[in-house]
Amino acid sequence: MAPSATASDSPSPSTTSETTENNFQPFFVLHRARSRKSEKKPTGTWKTRRRIDLSPSSPKNGEKLDAEKAGAWDDYRHVNIRMEAFDDVWSKIKSTIKDVLRDINTNVFNDIHHWVRESFKMITSFAIPTFPEATGSFPMVTDATSKQLFTGLVLTKNMEFVDDLMTFEELGSYLKSQGCHVANLSSLEFSLKNGIGGCLRSLLRQFLMVTLDAADVSILATWYREQGSCDNPVVIIIEDMERCCGSVLSDFILMLSEWVLKIPMVLIMGIATTLDAPKSILQSNALHHLCPCKFILGTPPERMDAVVEAVLVKQCSGFGISHKVAVFMRNYFVSQDGTITSFIRALKIACAQHFFVEPLSFMLWFLLGDDNLVLQGEKYGLSPEMMLKHALSLPSCQSIGRDKTTKHHGETIMNGLAELKKIQCQWSIVVLCLYEAGKCDKVTLLDLFCEALDPDSFKSRALYNGRGLENDSGVSSSDCYKHQQYYTTRNSGFICQALQKLRDLPAVQLCKLLKGWGKYTVNVPQIHEKVKKLLSEVKSEDGKGSGQDLSTISKRHASRKHLKIEDSDSVNEKAAKLLESMVRIYMQPLECAAFHEIVCFKNVNALQTALIGDPRRRIQVDLLEVQNIIQCSCCSGSSNALLPSMHDSSILYTLAQEHGDLINLHDWYQSFKSVALRLSNKGKRGPNYSPSPKKRKVSTKPAKPSEASIQYPFVDSIARFCRAVTELQITGLLRMPSKRRPDYVQRVAFGFRE
Amino acid sequence: MGNEESPQITRRATRLSSSTPVTSNEVETEKITKPYKLTLNDFVFGGEKLNFNDLLSSFPARGNQIRELLRLLGTVNSPMLPLFVYGDPSTGKTSTILQIFRHLSRPFVYASCRTCYSLQILFESVLDQLLLHKKNAANGYSSAKRCVKPSDFVNFLREDLTSVIEKLKSLKKVGSNKSAGKPSGNMLYLIFDNLELIREWDKSSTALSFMFNLYDVLKMHELGLIFISNTSPDTYYSNMGYTEHVPVYFPEYTEDDLRQILMRNQPNRKLYSSFLDVVLRPFCRTTRRVDELSTAFSPLFRKYCEPLSDLASVPNEEMKRRLFSHFQPHIAPSLNEIFWVPSKSSTEAETNKDTMRKGSTRKSEVGDHFAQIDFHMSTSAKYLLISAFLASRNPATLDASLFDSNGGSDSRKRKRKASEKSIEQKEVAEQELLMKGPGTFPLERLLAIFQCITSAADSFDEDEHENDDLRAGGDGGLMSDVLLQLSSLCNANFIIKGGSCPLEGSTRYRSTVSEDLALKVARSLKFPLPNYLYRR
Repeated sequence: MAPSATASDSPSPSTTSETTENNFQPFFVLHRARSRKSEKKPTGTWKTRRRIDLSPSSPKNGEKLDAEKAGAWDDYRHVNIRMEAFDDVWSKIKSTIKDVLRDINTNVFNDIHHWVRESFKMITSFAIPTFPEATGSFPMVTDATSKQLFTGLVLTKNMEFVDDLMTFEELGSYLKSQGCHVANLSSLEFSLKNGIGGCLRSLLRQFLMVTLDAADVSILATWYREQGSCDNPVVIIIEDMERCCGSVLSDFILMLSEWVLKIPMVLIMGIATTLDAPKSILQSNALHHLCPCKFILGTPPERMDAVVEAVLVKQCSGFGISHKVAVFMRNYFVSQDGTITSFIRALKIACAQHFFVEPLSFMLWFLLGDDNLVLQGEKYGLSPEMMLKHALSLPSCQSIGRDKTTKHHGETIMNGLAELKKIQCQWSIVVLCLYEAGKCDKVTLLDLFCEALDPDSFKSRALYNGRGLENDSGVSSSDCYKHQQYYTTRNSGFICQALQKLRDLPAVQLCKLLKGWGKYTVNVPQIHEKVKKLLSEVKSEDGKGSGQDLSTISKRHASRKHLKIEDSDSVNEKAAKLLESMVRIYMQPLECAAFHEIVCFKNVNALQTALIGDPRRRIQVDLLEVQNIIQCSCCSGSSNALLPSMHDSSILYTLAQEHGDLINLHDWYQSFKSVALRLSNKGKRGPNYSPSPKKRKVSTKPAKPSEASIQYPFVDSIARFCRAVTELQITGLLRMPSKRRPDYVQRVAFGFRE
Repeated sequence: MGNEESPQITRRATRLSSSTPVTSNEVETEKITKPYKLTLNDFVFGGEKLNFNDLLSSFPARGNQIRELLRLLGTVNSPMLPLFVYGDPSTGKTSTILQIFRHLSRPFVYASCRTCYSLQILFESVLDQLLLHKKNAANGYSSAKRCVKPSDFVNFLREDLTSVIEKLKSLKKVGSNKSAGKPSGNMLYLIFDNLELIREWDKSSTALSFMFNLYDVLKMHELGLIFISNTSPDTYYSNMGYTEHVPVYFPEYTEDDLRQILMRNQPNRKLYSSFLDVVLRPFCRTTRRVDELSTAFSPLFRKYCEPLSDLASVPNEEMKRRLFSHFQPHIAPSLNEIFWVPSKSSTEAETNKDTMRKGSTRKSEVGDHFAQIDFHMSTSAKYLLISAFLASRNPATLDASLFDSNGGSDSRKRKRKASEKSIEQKEVAEQELLMKGPGTFPLERLLAIFQCITSAADSFDEDEHENDDLRAGGDGGLMSDVLLQLSSLCNANFIIKGGSCPLEGSTRYRSTVSEDLALKVARSLKFPLPNYLYRR
């Protein structure tokens, strides 16, 4: 499967090299196959604007005209140009993510550096050895406490370690930039096989730039004293402590603790789970030598929120995802994988697919402010007419833009895109305001983001809005109650939770919150005015009765549910109302806007196949449906018949479908032989040989042919059979015969339902 | 007893001006442009000479051992049998010996088997020191001689020892400058520390018998051998026919000894002694290691002094009582605490603030704040963890009855069939498993339980959450990368994998999660774990 897809990828070597560099080829490949398949089904919105994607399937249908083939080639070039645009967009997103993730850890890194310096001071305060002392073999005689090894335990708060690989690298380079000598060790160096020599060798390689057979700490001591100034600590970072072999790590710690006075070393260990981990891994005598200190990195939900805020809510690139895709990605993060890395990967796949599939996707740049790019459609292989046709055939445009047909088309697009940009901007402001309010109640932005993208709930909100528009000026308290009820019954979701929280907020925090809102809404004067007004009210109220503040708040908190009406004029209520109206009016999800297909990725199925892959199922399906993949001439006609030209393991697996849990090896072999040997017999027997795969009947037949040909195919078929069985075993579809039943293999077809 | 020199204890020799021009000791202050040259002086412990009284006073409870060691070492140039110094860890063996050599100013070579973690490195380290060779950038950090085999080592050692001893002899003839820091006598002592570690280097213990035989093999009277070990000579093979070592035992410190040791170098002795009155006795019941005690006491003492404004003040009875009442609640918890992790002030303050805020806004949440797991796991990993815990805790025979009511899938039925067949067999195994702690389980069982749990939880979930669309793709999808999750659970040490052929699928796993953590995880999923736990 892979080679065929990469072959179709190859026309332009420049882009392929770029994509391989980006390292998501396998996923991309998987997707392609899928999108081709899904295309055959008439799925409403997709069919209308699918032109380019037909081209990959053109080699299948030989009867296609040459002219169209040429067009397909042309399209390929355009795809490649669009993929270049993708590279630009993605590099922007990537750098944004990188910055965001780095910013999260800046404070922790600073803390760690301070602590490293303090520890260094402590170590040097015990004793400052002279050169012979420091490089001598015997330990310095001092207090027992001076053998303590200062150890920073960095809690990554995530069981999976993938997200933090970069973190520790960054920590290392940060400390290096502060003058420390840093070495990063990973758990691979602490294996039982290499023993303590492995980690020392790695240390020496990083500090001294030499690779030695007999690595020895004394070398490190000599190096430290010889390399000049001795006023910088040596920091050793062990990235994933839990994966290290406990005994080796203990030995390492004991050894370091003997040398810590001679080489001022500070240890930093990354811990994925809890602080109990060192206790359970290390030997107690090594544990005693540690003088630990705890640091906490940003938790995955925190980081996720930061990434979502920067990339998807604040729209750093203009690229957006639909509600369904967002929900899928959220679920994938929460329940499946739990790593930011895979979330980013999913985003990248989505982005790549979007650019690959959508001809107008290059217009993303327009949303970033580069107006003139829109008119350069030719560069992306589209004449202005084509562009217009594409744009106006978008489903979102068809529903909305019908009545505007009188206008000039170019203008329509321009206006539509400007409108889209405005909607996105307003939407993100409201979401950020909601997030700010929900923060105190631990509402994560990811959840909020998914809910805010839901087009259905927006539509129903808008419906309500239309009805309630007449008394918008003075919303009565009963109305407000209805609001609340409406939200709680309709979607007991996070938006509602954030609103609820807003009502309970104490004045000080409300003031802070409103200030935050003020910052967000600067670009939308309508909201900004209202926020300003509210803020001044809060301040005046704050000044009025600061003494009674606490008591009233608690009372309000207690009695809110019963005494709605009295409460309604409080500032909290006003803020909540403001937010509600913002949600109603301005929070229009991307999918409700015209032309949103240009920026919004919607195909959740494609993303799912690309991301999850389901290799086991894939293997089984592929084994059973070889014809679809190989597409050779011999198999094209008959769909399910077993042919000798098929791959052996495929034949075997198809035959195995006839059996139950246990497969009798003899029967299986006989039926395999009957199929496989047909090829060699075919030549002699001619076309009148019946290709029916019935085993009993056929199994007797191969015994008949002339003696010369018997010897060879028989041995050969056994060999082929054995190899195919082993292949099936390796792919995990079979279990070899047990001692109890030596002539049966067991099927381990797991989780595959046809 | 060849080489009988007139024993002159006070003899000193000048710096050897043999082959290399003498460079001063202050080299390293001059920003290391020229490498430091080693001389014969580096065979002795650096620094000023220690007189006998200082030696005794620096080791309060080791007077007897010091006297015995001095007697065994004898006068200058008197040959000796190999010494075997042993005693519990942190009883002052190494530092006593080193200080004795500092006192005697005799040349020695020290090699710790902790630092020299293999035979080759041990050999090369000893030879390097004898040859006054230092691995540095100039020589590419390589040792003077490459030496892997014990036989080579013996040859090299003999060669180098004779040359060093010759030099030491010639040193004596050059003059008798009485300045400190010059080697006295022409005997050389080899000190091997942490000898017990050699036992782990090779299974056949040839290295160990080689070390013990070293004295007999070399037959050099100018050589003194000292072995330092944590364990008594009985724990080594002793019937190998080599010269009997002279054992010197360092007994465990008594409470009074510990008090004396800990009282050294304390600025405010009265205050510290009143502190020791409180803590020393309970702590002595758990450990008598000086290093453990001193590390445990330093934060405790800080806590003890917290109410005091002036750390130099001399405590009276009333103040002691006050300090004690303030301090008492901290003693018992710290006794049980092996590993106490403080956090940096800035982050701590933040979390404090966080809990404060939470306390003011929503009181109900403070209660279950402590019951949360404090790291991130995906939902399917949590379920997998719980199913692994269940598979380890419950006997396999119970699986069918436990998961029947919740409605499972095909795999469950297959499971039940399999378990019914071998009930008797498993009854025995069940007993055994209880004795062994958490039991092992095959992958299939784990996956079966996992599927039962998740399918049960899915129906449970749907009751609770109205909005299905946020949960879309929850079921079925959970299965997709279970094996990946399993491997990351293994990496986090929650599940331990027993080795066997992975192709056959007969790998057995074992869950090492504490019940506490499992319950926490279950609570975060709202999964009724206690219902599934089999209790006797």
